[in-house]
Amino acid sequence: MSDDEINLQEMPIAEILELMGEDLYDGYAEEVVEEVNECLSRGMTPYDVLTNGLVAGMDVVGVDFRDGILFVPEVLMAARAMKAGMSILRPLLAETGAQKVGTMVIGTVKGDIHDIGKNLVSMMMEGAGFEVINLGINNDVESFLGAIEEHNPDILGMSALLTTTMPYMRVVINALKEKGIRNEIVVLVGGAPLNDAFAEDIEADAYCRDAAVAVETAKKFMQIRQSV
Amino acid sequence: MISQFAALLTPEQVEQVHEASLEILANVGLLVRNEKARALLVQHGCLLDSETDIVKFPRRIVEHFRAAYPPTFTFHGRDPQYDRTIPDDGPLAMTASSAPNLIDPVTGRERRARSDDMARIAHLFNELPALDLFSVSVLCDDAPEGYFSLSRYYPALKNTVKPVRGNVPNVAEAKKVIRLGELIAGGKAVYEERPFITHHYCAVVSPLTMDFDSTELLLYLTKNNYPGYATIVPNAGLTSPLTLLGTIAQGNAEFMAWATLKQMVRPGAELIYSALPTVGDMRTGAYAPGGIETGMMVMGFAQMARYYNVPSAGYAGLTNAKLADAQAGFEKGMSPSIGVLAGLDLVNVAGLIDALMTFDFSMMVIDDEIMAMIKRVKRGLEFSAENLALNLIAEAGPAGMFLDKQHTVDRMKSCAILPDVADRDPRETWVKKGGLDAQGKAMQRVKEILTRDNPAVFSPVVDARIRAEFTNLVAGDSVPPPGWKRASQTRDRKTRRRRKHIRQ
Repeated sequence: MSDDEINLQEMPIAEILELMGEDLYDGYAEEVVEEVNECLSRGMTPYDVLTNGLVAGMDVVGVDFRDGILFVPEVLMAARAMKAGMSILRPLLAETGAQKVGTMVIGTVKGDIHDIGKNLVSMMMEGAGFEVINLGINNDVESFLGAIEEHNPDILGMSALLTTTMPYMRVVINALKEKGIRNEIVVLVGGAPLNDAFAEDIEADAYCRDAAVAVETAKKFMQIRQSV
Repeated sequence: MISQFAALLTPEQVEQVHEASLEILANVGLLVRNEKARALLVQHGCLLDSETDIVKFPRRIVEHFRAAYPPTFTFHGRDPQYDRTIPDDGPLAMTASSAPNLIDPVTGRERRARSDDMARIAHLFNELPALDLFSVSVLCDDAPEGYFSLSRYYPALKNTVKPVRGNVPNVAEAKKVIRLGELIAGGKAVYEERPFITHHYCAVVSPLTMDFDSTELLLYLTKNNYPGYATIVPNAGLTSPLTLLGTIAQGNAEFMAWATLKQMVRPGAELIYSALPTVGDMRTGAYAPGGIETGMMVMGFAQMARYYNVPSAGYAGLTNAKLADAQAGFEKGMSPSIGVLAGLDLVNVAGLIDALMTFDFSMMVIDDEIMAMIKRVKRGLEFSAENLALNLIAEAGPAGMFLDKQHTVDRMKSCAILPDVADRDPRETWVKKGGLDAQGKAMQRVKEILTRDNPAVFSPVVDARIRAEFTNLVAGDSVPPPGWKRASQTRDRKTRRRRKHIRQ
């Protein structure tokens, strides 16, 4: 097809989904939104649009990123397009009671203002369809607990770049235990000085080395939660 | 762009070196063993002592012919897309050449090199993007009688489309190699229009000697318009004074000697001011091209070349290491860097270890990466309003993000060199991938390339034409060495079937 002009209305739905995948791959947010709307107007369920359109498309992005074909900036552009599509689907999914991809509260712990890595995780999680509440930097126990109460997330993400600030993650986890909600939430931690042993020691659920690992780990935990 | 080249000599000192060289040429002269060269020099006013065969070059003769030095040199490739002209396209990277030995890619042991190795070397070279010029890397121990040079040039020319440069021992061998070029091109006239073999000879042997065959080659090739140039190779403490400055003064005289002779044969004939200067290791007399002094003298020679307005070349990327190890890395990293900062146009760098004795496949891959980085230095900071990115800095703002901007996507493959050999994985991933060092990673790349077919080989028709005339020619094909299997296809970025659609 050598079409400069694409008429979505005339296109079979299978082709629109395919196009949605390509537009996600290229990070075209506005196009993805149009395609999501067109699918919905044809009577596709929000859940089908999510799984057969957006998620299927982002899976290809994920594989090509893993294989070194796509670079980080491209994945972030794709994640942004995904987020745009999700912003239409999310309220509809909530209405229909369809299974959520997941919600995450994420922040850098008290004393630490290094947030590039945390923001990357946040964007990549959105790219995987998660709803992310990004608390920014320098969060104390009250800030994390308040957000958990308000948003009832599946996952809490904490990040620290400094060896001096990472012990604060234990303080937050202990506070969750004291409140009796530790088992209701998956705690993922990350940051350059951390490792698996540290995560185990503070009784987090997992240490995630980078944003891609964070997304994979979050998806795994969501599967476990939803199968219970 | 480098806004100002590094210089070890002040402008006044450059002139003093020039004066010193003129004095050497006029008062000491050169021993000229080649009779034709002697005759030509005398015919143009040089002074011969017929007892000693020493020829003195009066100052005015040298200066007269210096006016004819041309400012550029073009290398032609079998595919014109790879033609390169210096100084404009510089710095160029060339392989180092004529090693008798090779590290076997499978066993890791040193042995004599053969023509099948030459085919693999040229194939690998052809796939390495930062390497521009193929100087025929090794000798071939399996050469049939009468095929000494053809056994080297044929596998080289067959397996790379980029420019090939090499040495031959004498005029008879040069003629065979040129004939090979004509057969590949499809005729003498076609070849002569774009001769894709560049010749190289050591017309002056330090100290201050023109020999028989190499000087004969200069005369023959220049007269018949085949491109070529000479390298001066002074070794301080052995064949030149044990000072960097004295070696530059003598080497500069040696350059002007062959350049003068060449201009006498054909005024305006192409030149490269090429040097391989070393300081002998006085502890043992060892030949030490990996020394930093080689890089420093190359800086000095590059400065002299600029003074004469001729392109420069330097063997700045050599090493005495026996493996592609840390010594090889720092010796091959430092001298080319300082050379290019001083304005060197061509770096002879890739493939050889052990003071030019041995070729190593992994080394050539590492050298490609070194040269990619050094070429990046030459690109400089790329000063422009767009690259200052003021709008973008304002758009991202304090505590903002640059990683998700289109501006970043547009430059993610061009701003920085993305190395294959230099490892940037987290330790955990690095361990999982085998915990390889640079040599190990480079060898993986070698294997990846040499287990694929070489798309550069010429057609069976051309091959048949060559074999009809040179009946005893070696096979010359790049086949994976015994024990290596052919690789599967690699994947590339998904390409869209449709263009971005237009919104109503």
